[in-house]
Amino acid sequence: MPAATITTTTMTTNTNPAALLRLLAWLSPAFPTGGYAWSHGIEWAVEAGDIANAETLRLWLENILRHGAGRTDAILLRHAHRAAADIEALTTLAALARALAASRELLAETTAQGNAFRAAAAAWNPDVLTRLVGDLPYPIAVGALAGAQGIAENDATLGVLQAFAANLISAAVRLVPLGQSAGLAVLAALEPAITAIAAETQSAGLDDIGSLTWRADIAAMRHETQYTRLFRS
Amino acid sequence: MSAAASPSEHQRAHGDLHVTMKLREGRTVLDDLRQQGCLKARFPRPPGWAEVVTLNTSGGVAGGDTLRTTLRVRHGASASFAAQAAERFYRALPEDPPAHIRTSLAVEPGAAAEWLPQESILFESCALDRTLHVELAADAWFLGVESLVFGRALMGERVANCRLHDRIRIDRAGQPLLHDAIRLHGPADALARPAIAAGAGALATLVLVAPDADSRLAPLRAAWKNNDAGASAWNGMLLARVTAADGAALREAVLAALACLRGPRPLPRVWMC
Repeated sequence: MPAATITTTTMTTNTNPAALLRLLAWLSPAFPTGGYAWSHGIEWAVEAGDIANAETLRLWLENILRHGAGRTDAILLRHAHRAAADIEALTTLAALARALAASRELLAETTAQGNAFRAAAAAWNPDVLTRLVGDLPYPIAVGALAGAQGIAENDATLGVLQAFAANLISAAVRLVPLGQSAGLAVLAALEPAITAIAAETQSAGLDDIGSLTWRADIAAMRHETQYTRLFRS
Repeated sequence: MSAAASPSEHQRAHGDLHVTMKLREGRTVLDDLRQQGCLKARFPRPPGWAEVVTLNTSGGVAGGDTLRTTLRVRHGASASFAAQAAERFYRALPEDPPAHIRTSLAVEPGAAAEWLPQESILFESCALDRTLHVELAADAWFLGVESLVFGRALMGERVANCRLHDRIRIDRAGQPLLHDAIRLHGPADALARPAIAAGAGALATLVLVAPDADSRLAPLRAAWKNNDAGASAWNGMLLARVTAADGAALREAVLAALACLRGPRPLPRVWMC
């Protein structure tokens, strides 16, 4: 895959080299958060025929990014990043993030990955995460640790959005199925949506959180009774 | 656009309504009522649960209107809250602030409450900022529904643009349980997208908070087997969503769901006319 260079005039990126290495490690598919087990309802959307090829996958993901969990998680991550030194504020954010889940499996998807992230981050002295008790939603975990360890908020936001998209594409590549190059073309085509959401959420307050992805929620709900399942959501 | 234009672009409506229901000698009765401006309440006396019917006398909601409703169901009481009619949200000018609607409902220990307004009908270029905030005691029972209809399909109306921010926040024992927020700013053609509404013109969300909420899941899924709908249950809560072509189809789906979630008790009479 060719390396992409992101140039934008609205974002300053000033992550230092060691912090950049951490972000790359934490968002790598090899980091044991178990992201590969979750499809965010894509498994049902494929079964139902809503996702049948690269174009319908791209459109579905673009809507999730712009109008659903992508945008919501970006706002949560940014607020967790800013609250990295405030355990009480992070605890409140984690409770809000759990309440935002629209189905049993969507709640499990974000908290299983957040809890696994907290455990796997032990090698980096994640004091801020070990002080947070209870189920930890993924964007809160990444935002808080990134904020505590000098990773620029915009870099962490872009990275999490990209990793989220890449993970769902990987699920769809197996489920539809699609070729690897078709999946990567979808990832490349989502760059404008990812950079737009990262930019738009910079000034968003928690009260600006809101979603439109009702049928993606319905897909996640219907996944619970799907007969044959490879994924946990 | 004719009928959909705001009836009063300069005259903004304000309403303030407080209703508290309490248990007295085994029956739920009115404890406190204060009403001001365009919001009123009526108290029909059906057999079964106490009913509170709210009424917006302004004849529809325009940009800049402010409606504040504070409801409380005291220890051990049980009450259904319904609206007299579907609420219409009219065109707002781009410079108008959105209609500001805040409804809070507190349900005390051992109490039960139903929030059963009728549909919210959204007209072209409407602007709405609405929050329903439900505060439940640890053992309180709650059922709520919010139905959104984008234009009246039978009248050939479409909604091409709107500013909509609609939240349902439920706290139980002081902890957030559900924060369901809908946000649509700008072109409503997003509704055509498969991940959003796949062209449906109406949507409802239902929430049940009850110790046995998950026991309602199988019956609801069976009732909705031919609908574009889903339901899930966790943490003593059931959350369900359904989309439909128009308001009439949505109402049919919502009535089927309410029968599953609240049993054979009759619905408030305002739902039947």
